[in-house]
Amino acid sequence: MAKSPDTATHARRLLALLPLLKRGETIPIAELAAAVGCSPAEAAADLAALTMCGVPPFTPVDMIELDIQGDHVTVYIDPPGLDRPLRLTVAEARALGAALDAAGYAADSALRRTLASVSGGDASAADLERTVRAGAAPGGLASLYATLAMAADEHDKARITYLTGSSGRLSERVVHPWALVNRSGTWYLVAFCEGVGEERVFRLDRIRSAERLGVTFPPPAAVPLAVIPRPDELPVAEVVFAPGASLSEARTWPGATLETRPDGSTLVRVGYQTVSWIARRVAARLGEAEVIEPAEVREAVRALAAAMVAERR
Amino acid sequence: MADATERLVNLALYLASTPAPVTALECRTAGLGYPERQDDAAFLRMFERDKDALRAAGLVIEVVTNEETEAYRVDAAATFARPVELEPGDLAALRAVASAFADDPGFPFRDDLALALGKLGSAGHAGPLATSELSATEPDVQGPRARTIAEAVQTHKSLTFGYTNARGEEKSHAVDPYGVFFREGVWYLTGRDRDADAVRTYAITRMRDLEVNASRPHTPDFERPGDFDVRAQERLPFQYGGPAVSAQVRFEPDVAWRAERLSRGQGTLETLGDGSALWTVEAANLTALASWIVGEGPALHPVGPPGLLDALVSGLKRVVASHG
Repeated sequence: MAKSPDTATHARRLLALLPLLKRGETIPIAELAAAVGCSPAEAAADLAALTMCGVPPFTPVDMIELDIQGDHVTVYIDPPGLDRPLRLTVAEARALGAALDAAGYAADSALRRTLASVSGGDASAADLERTVRAGAAPGGLASLYATLAMAADEHDKARITYLTGSSGRLSERVVHPWALVNRSGTWYLVAFCEGVGEERVFRLDRIRSAERLGVTFPPPAAVPLAVIPRPDELPVAEVVFAPGASLSEARTWPGATLETRPDGSTLVRVGYQTVSWIARRVAARLGEAEVIEPAEVREAVRALAAAMVAERR
Repeated sequence: MADATERLVNLALYLASTPAPVTALECRTAGLGYPERQDDAAFLRMFERDKDALRAAGLVIEVVTNEETEAYRVDAAATFARPVELEPGDLAALRAVASAFADDPGFPFRDDLALALGKLGSAGHAGPLATSELSATEPDVQGPRARTIAEAVQTHKSLTFGYTNARGEEKSHAVDPYGVFFREGVWYLTGRDRDADAVRTYAITRMRDLEVNASRPHTPDFERPGDFDVRAQERLPFQYGGPAVSAQVRFEPDVAWRAERLSRGQGTLETLGDGSALWTVEAANLTALASWIVGEGPALHPVGPPGLLDALVSGLKRVVASHG
């Protein structure tokens, strides 16, 4: 069950509802709930609470008159004095800044500057930027994010140029953008790829470019949102890490199981989608890690490292 | 008697609609919901808390002093937002991040985000499907703690907490919080450790018994250094360790576009005549940079200093030897 908000937070939500109530309108309660970030049941309770509010002398014409019928509310009076949206508070400006950090919008982006201009006078944008940071998204991500968000919202096909991590090759694909998924700060696009006729997951920082095609795709009945495959669905490699080697990178070794051995080394069992992917991860440890099995991965690691040494002769 | 929430809404409506500023006494007797048998001191404390709550909701309350009596009303010019026109892509991006973080307890500011979107008129439309699991572990712990710390950063209030470091050592800390940041699944606090008298960074996942100094809530406990910038914490994996040296990495023309993505604002980028990108960046650990080059490859090459090339080649030779 969701935790009840404290009085001040609850009052903020009621005050946020007021400007959305326009005299003469009948509004779906679900729409109001979405607008203030609560459930329709909570919004209905809030609307009922608002009917008990008003201004002195609290005669019937001074009260907020609403008629709640089922999942709609009809508004009979403009809320006195608070019929327009309030400026953003410090907390709200901070929330927007943090969310946009995570999507790659730099502090000096046009969108961030626009939002700063509608924040309250005590919400110093510069101060918030220097003190709160919800992620350093890769550079150049914001416009890509916006394009794909629009395409997903409008069910518009997109053409993307994608760098496949395992092969290092760029490929052009027409996709149906279904969803944007964030895992530990990294954004992924879940999409149907027309070229392979199946759903695929694309890391946003490996998408070089994206353009909307203006061609509608049918929305899927259900969208699989597991962007990282379950370890039990993948082949498993056994990799031994030298004593003292860092293994804290959840992104580098997702879903791995670790076993400390008597000599201080760590045996890691990790699922992998492609041999080339895990070979590069192991080679990047520059001798701290050794694949025990399977032999095919072990050989791929040796071949990759040998080729890179040969490049530099 | 109205409940506390209704009293706050009544007070907001009263202060917003009154043609002339009203005194605390007028508010008390106007039927807004203040308890009738409350003593004067208790009423004034409640009235101050109510005004603070309304300010936190975004109302700017104008105070008019006249012959030692204060009167109040909403400053409409400072309170209401002016309409903003957002580009369709920006609007879709805002809706996507709001949708993603709305149900993610690891995002500390999700309630504020929903209210902000409502004020911008960007809510009421579901937006694209988006989800998030920001925190790699304990999102129900990390999110609220990060929110508490961000609030303490904003109000300049000191924190105390127990902490278990990477070596398993436990210690209590008193810290003046300067900033809070997120990196790869974990939220961090940066601030001045009062005992060490030095700026330190702490993983929120390693804290316990986090407390904000509750005494004198409206009085700052410390001044943050004017040059503090939490973005300086956003270093790449090879930028931790000893003294930094300048290093250069070349991106082949086919992957030159990745240089902006991967550099994350660190160092400088230059496009060479053949279309390659040359990245000059500070590195504190050349072996870690060599590892990063291999991991982010192919088509990335070390250019200098010589120690970087040595670290790369000797490391790769160790890989060949151990897998031979």
